[in-house]
Amino acid sequence: MIGILICQIVLSIVLASIFLIRPSLTSATGWKIVAFIGLGVLPALCLVGGMNTHVQRSEQTRFCVSCHVMIPYGQSLYVDDPNHIPAQHFQNHRVPADMACYSCHADYTIYGPLNDKMQGLKRIYLQYVSTPPDPAAIRIAGGFKNAQCLHCHMGARSFEENPVHAAVMDSLKSNQLSCLSSGCHDTAHDIANLSHEKFWKPVE
Amino acid sequence: MKLNQIGIRRLLRTSSALVIAGLLLEIVSLLWFHPLSFVLFAFVAASLIGLGVLVYLASLVFASAPPADNRN
Repeated sequence: MIGILICQIVLSIVLASIFLIRPSLTSATGWKIVAFIGLGVLPALCLVGGMNTHVQRSEQTRFCVSCHVMIPYGQSLYVDDPNHIPAQHFQNHRVPADMACYSCHADYTIYGPLNDKMQGLKRIYLQYVSTPPDPAAIRIAGGFKNAQCLHCHMGARSFEENPVHAAVMDSLKSNQLSCLSSGCHDTAHDIANLSHEKFWKPVE
Repeated sequence: MKLNQIGIRRLLRTSSALVIAGLLLEIVSLLWFHPLSFVLFAFVAASLIGLGVLVYLASLVFASAPPADNRN
């Protein structure tokens, strides 16, 4: 996919180079059309393709953990403890392993991905312009919403037939009771205690 | 050579240079796997390409405008 986009970009560069060197060619009708394609249509398509590729890339786990402050969060996915919710989901492929972060942290609404990009840009600003946050002190604005969990778990038999879940289902749906409440699924990315944990090593 | 032809050629050259610079930066951003690559693409490469396309469109408007001595 990225190869096709790069070929398109190279073609566009070649066409634009022609008009950089000999702009007088556009006095002929045929070259006017070539100029319209090379300086108008193809660059616009390259922009759309580039944006699409970057947006898809930013949903990948390795993209998220390529940011310095996210490294311990990436490590926490390998904690060898079934009580660690993100690790359990990642290691057992309950979420796509290559999109693990995005699967649980994208807001499943129409503006969700856009909001995520804005949050990501804010983090980049903090990292390179302002003061980078302590990884352990990072908190999700507005807290983690149950909708992220229910997006997959709602309708699943094992989830709905669980008597604990069934008893508080309305509170879970209305977000009055968090899935991460104390005594429930309260261990998520325990960054502060990461040095005391054992880690799972996947078979190569 | 008419004066407006020189202007159009200059606009085409500027447009081509902006588009080429933007596209080269886009290639760099696509090959560089880092959060900053998104910033490079979204804020620098896309702006250059967009500006290049706008300059090209401006040259089309400039080319289609009647010469000053023919107006009224």
